[in-house]
Amino acid sequence: MSEETERAWAKLDRKATAIAEFTLRQYRTRLSTWVVLSVSVGAMMLLNLFYLDFMTTELRMNDNDGDSHDYDGDGYPTGQEILLGTDPFNELSYPEGVTPDPASKYINEDDFDWDNITKDSFQSIGYDDDGDCTRDGQLITDSQKDNNGNLIPCDIAVYYSNFSQVYIISTDGNVDEDPNEDKFGKEAIHRAYILSVGKMGIVYLLGIFLPLFLASGLVRNEMNDGTMHFMLAKPISRGEVLLYRMLGYLGIVWPFIIGLCILMALITGFLGPGEGFFRFSDLGVWVSICFAAMLVSMVYGMIFCVFGILWKQGMVLAIILAAWELGMAFVSVLAGGDTYIQWFSVIGWGLMIVDIGAALNWQDLPILIEMGNWHGGYPSENSGCYYQFNEAYDICESEKLPGTEPLEFFASTHGLGVGNWLAAIVASSVLVIQAFLAWVIGQAIFKSKEMEV
Amino acid sequence: MMPDFTQTGKSEDTTSTTKDNVPVVVFKNVSKQYGQISALTDISLAISGGVTGILGMNGAGKSTLFKIIMGKIRPSGGQIRLFGEDPWKNQSPYARTGFVPEHEKMHDWMTAIDFVTTFARLNGMTREEARLEAERVLTFVELADVMHKQIGRFSKGMRQRVKIAHALVNDPDLIVLDEPLQGCDPLARTSIMNVIRELGRLGRTVLVSSHILSEIERITEQIVILHKGRLLAIGNLHAIRDLLDQHPHKIAIRCEQPKRLAKDLIDIDEVTTVSIPAKDELIVETKHFGVVHNLLPSIIVKNNHHVWEIDNPDDNLQSILEYLTGGLP
Repeated sequence: MSEETERAWAKLDRKATAIAEFTLRQYRTRLSTWVVLSVSVGAMMLLNLFYLDFMTTELRMNDNDGDSHDYDGDGYPTGQEILLGTDPFNELSYPEGVTPDPASKYINEDDFDWDNITKDSFQSIGYDDDGDCTRDGQLITDSQKDNNGNLIPCDIAVYYSNFSQVYIISTDGNVDEDPNEDKFGKEAIHRAYILSVGKMGIVYLLGIFLPLFLASGLVRNEMNDGTMHFMLAKPISRGEVLLYRMLGYLGIVWPFIIGLCILMALITGFLGPGEGFFRFSDLGVWVSICFAAMLVSMVYGMIFCVFGILWKQGMVLAIILAAWELGMAFVSVLAGGDTYIQWFSVIGWGLMIVDIGAALNWQDLPILIEMGNWHGGYPSENSGCYYQFNEAYDICESEKLPGTEPLEFFASTHGLGVGNWLAAIVASSVLVIQAFLAWVIGQAIFKSKEMEV
Repeated sequence: MMPDFTQTGKSEDTTSTTKDNVPVVVFKNVSKQYGQISALTDISLAISGGVTGILGMNGAGKSTLFKIIMGKIRPSGGQIRLFGEDPWKNQSPYARTGFVPEHEKMHDWMTAIDFVTTFARLNGMTREEARLEAERVLTFVELADVMHKQIGRFSKGMRQRVKIAHALVNDPDLIVLDEPLQGCDPLARTSIMNVIRELGRLGRTVLVSSHILSEIERITEQIVILHKGRLLAIGNLHAIRDLLDQHPHKIAIRCEQPKRLAKDLIDIDEVTTVSIPAKDELIVETKHFGVVHNLLPSIIVKNNHHVWEIDNPDDNLQSILEYLTGGLP
């Protein structure tokens, strides 16, 4: 670097830090800043109360396969009769000389034990915990033990379709057929909570709420007060003023978002389900939420600040944009990667980053959703309450395992048709470019603005 | 329309130049329109060196003129050059300019030293350089002892001086002050006037606007009079003053016993009439304003009158304007 450019850089640096520092200190002295930040933290903590409630309340245990019920009234629950080879529908057929088991023994007796699901095209998983598939007896034949025809008795075959990117579950009967609602539900609700709070709460709401109140007036307030004169009477272009003011804005908003995400990650990490004392597996998702919120708040901040320069009532334009973005947020959440309209928004790209974070850190997310939908196979996912146990209480209620629906709702794929890391780079770049374009347009507007006050 | 004054001040015709041989401020047929309304019409001016007072009533176009100089608004027609550059397109002239805006609003939460330091850094100074400079200019405007206090706690006059300090921090060749004396108490006025005069003595080009003739009179002789957006006169204030002193004048005095004061004043030869419109007010008419104005204090002190307020200085500019425009409104 020549001496000349070095000096130019030093001057630029001095001006940049001077305005950014000034802006930061200005925020610090305003009550409104602290109100906005406290309200944000308060809202998040309020949501955490709901989460805490979910995590501390035991979910209702369903008898998915209905075998805790004593249909024939002989005093033995169906599960016990099946295991011992008597007819569960015949009052006269019961295991003699055996003490009847309590019904509760046949609720959640055969939970999921699927670990290490990979995206191989075919896998054999599952274990028949209660032995109602592996048992020998007149009620079950070898062919019945291998319904899915993969030549492995009493297992679950999982196919991953690379084409449609979904898991297809094909099971032998009575394997993992009575999953633990509480265990699954807490896991699913925990993840659904992170995704929903991350996407709608932090990336969308905070991403728009913070800039709406902190960035809209960044230049406009000073223009109205006439205090902008002090800055513009200096040898500094208006484009620079806009840029450095934004730096000051980011100086308060970014640390806040980082802090809030750390707090949320700690709370959900310690309270969340799981054997370990802390859920390290979620951290990467929180990083993606934090990163997305930072980028989104930068883009909105720049746009809202420019709206403020453009028009005294820039807040009106900001709110109109916020409404469009809310629509796009829902489109993005509802349709996932299946729609391209979200590409014409800021939030669409922001949420994409969260989806990528989830895909990278929770590789089992699609299979978890599939498991919730399959919910043990009773009654069959597609055929409603057709099964012979349909009189059993609450079978039909348990169409899906608890937590499946919210998880399915808030989980999406990025839909860019490229790998996760590449998609992350694309989405981040798009957001940075959006902010840059907003600055280019904004400084042109600012430069042509006649300052009457 | 423009009377021929003896021009001892510097104006368009006697363009003095700065070191780079370009007049500091040049207006060439500048006009500014807001829809149908003309804020400035066909202003041509060149100013370099010394203190120049920009006089005009409210709405005469003083602020518009300054906004154009400071690159806040773009002229509708004509050309403006600051050190040879167009300030609307190029910020570089502001490295050599200091501006004291009219607005009362300041960053009240900052201390004086913080405020001046922060904006000094926008001139490209380091933190340390800026701080040293800030201390220097705050001492120059006599605020050294309070510079660590918040601006919000300052009196109007102190605030004005902080603004002036902030404008001086880059050691500018051109200083523009928009109504710097407005709302200040007499003590602050005197101190600010001293600062402005001092700057003029240091060879800076100073533009200072006011609608009060007596204020400008105490600062400089070189004036520009604006009226309804037009350049009414450029030149030496004394020439105008002499003409004006022959003109009937009113002095309003608010005092405790107007009748007693009236008795004392009517004895002065130059006083034409005295009237008492209210029970604590006295209006003196004279054709020799200067003489009466000089005699007034001694009479008040000698006869122990309780006087709260003397004259409405607006009348003075008003009468100049009436004189210059031949009594047209």
